[in-house]
Amino acid sequence: MKDTVKKWLEEKQVDMFLGYKMVHGHALPYCFQADRLDEVDDLVVSRERYSLEKMATHIAAVYPEMKIGMLARDCNQRALKVLDIWDQLKKDSVTTFNVNCCPSPLKNHGDCSYLEPSPVGPVKVELGIDNNMSVEHAEHLDQKERFAHWMYEFSKCIKCYGCRNICPVCFCKDCSLEHPELIRSGGALPTEVPLFHLVRAAHMAGRCIDCGLCEDACPMDIPLRLLYRKVGSSVSDLFGYRPGIDEGKSPFNLIGDAPTTEPRPI
Amino acid sequence: MEYKLVPSICSYCGCGCGVLFEVMDGQLVGTMPLKSHPVSQGKLCIKGWNLHEHVISEERLQTPLLKTNGALQEASWDASIQTTAERFKKIIAEHGPDSVAVLASAKVTNEENYLIQKFTRAVLGTNNVDHCARL
Repeated sequence: MKDTVKKWLEEKQVDMFLGYKMVHGHALPYCFQADRLDEVDDLVVSRERYSLEKMATHIAAVYPEMKIGMLARDCNQRALKVLDIWDQLKKDSVTTFNVNCCPSPLKNHGDCSYLEPSPVGPVKVELGIDNNMSVEHAEHLDQKERFAHWMYEFSKCIKCYGCRNICPVCFCKDCSLEHPELIRSGGALPTEVPLFHLVRAAHMAGRCIDCGLCEDACPMDIPLRLLYRKVGSSVSDLFGYRPGIDEGKSPFNLIGDAPTTEPRPI
Repeated sequence: MEYKLVPSICSYCGCGCGVLFEVMDGQLVGTMPLKSHPVSQGKLCIKGWNLHEHVISEERLQTPLLKTNGALQEASWDASIQTTAERFKKIIAEHGPDSVAVLASAKVTNEENYLIQKFTRAVLGTNNVDHCARL
């Protein structure tokens, strides 16, 4: 890995390489460059996942000609595909060095979606939603009970906007979650439940790549991934489109020749 | 082009969450949570997420403000400290040490806060010292 990255930098195949380096015992994202080639010896694959593609998007916004190399797991790959489709980070400007997903004792090659889930506490099981629940299981709960449980989860929200800020495929300049007619601005708490979360869920349709960073970043442990998985499964059932996996534009940014209103079974 | 991520600690309250500052060409452009931090475990509140906005804000105070003739005006550190010391001395001489109080800050270090309380108790001679992050 280190030799390849050095070669890329030396031969100017990439101008910079986003990887990880150990700093004070923490694996931190690090930008390796040709004028500091020795540092590539410190390149590591970290257990922690950062959205390197989001950093690449920030760099490309200022330096559009920059050729960016980056370490990529499966979730990074999916995010890059979506960012390319939405014209945020063109795929020609990014070269990836593909690495195994998060190290896990369970699998030699595990997609992070399959990593060993951590058990949830008894109060959350009683009142809220088990983060490890499958979409199918969640759909088969009694509707009234299901609503109460989701409302319990949503009402915990402290409106940190962490789910949006960390999301690799959230890039809009004008965010609906800051729209004064939808969501009260400033530190007004509690936030509009369930509107806040449902607005975000609706916007994740055709975009969410199921990387799980939102749920990782949520201080209140709201099962966001499950919510967005449900949205994703609806898009997949209705349009046969899986963001980050399937080629082509999302059904939500296509303007077709003739709009169809033909209903399809959900 | 220079791009680096600098680990730091959020200065807003006593929790001490780990943050990563995104620095491009010497300019602070973003804040994100430090995933491997033992305190915050990759989570932040809204204040932590927006640390960089306070640093680069145009409204940020860069000098002390002294109330002169009823209005706050920019002043040098020397003049501010001198005025504060004189006022403290005058008030304490007239009304005793318990007539003044000191409010410490979460945005300075633990050691500086220690000095503030030591100064208040040993120099000013009052126990009137409190802290904004007494959550």
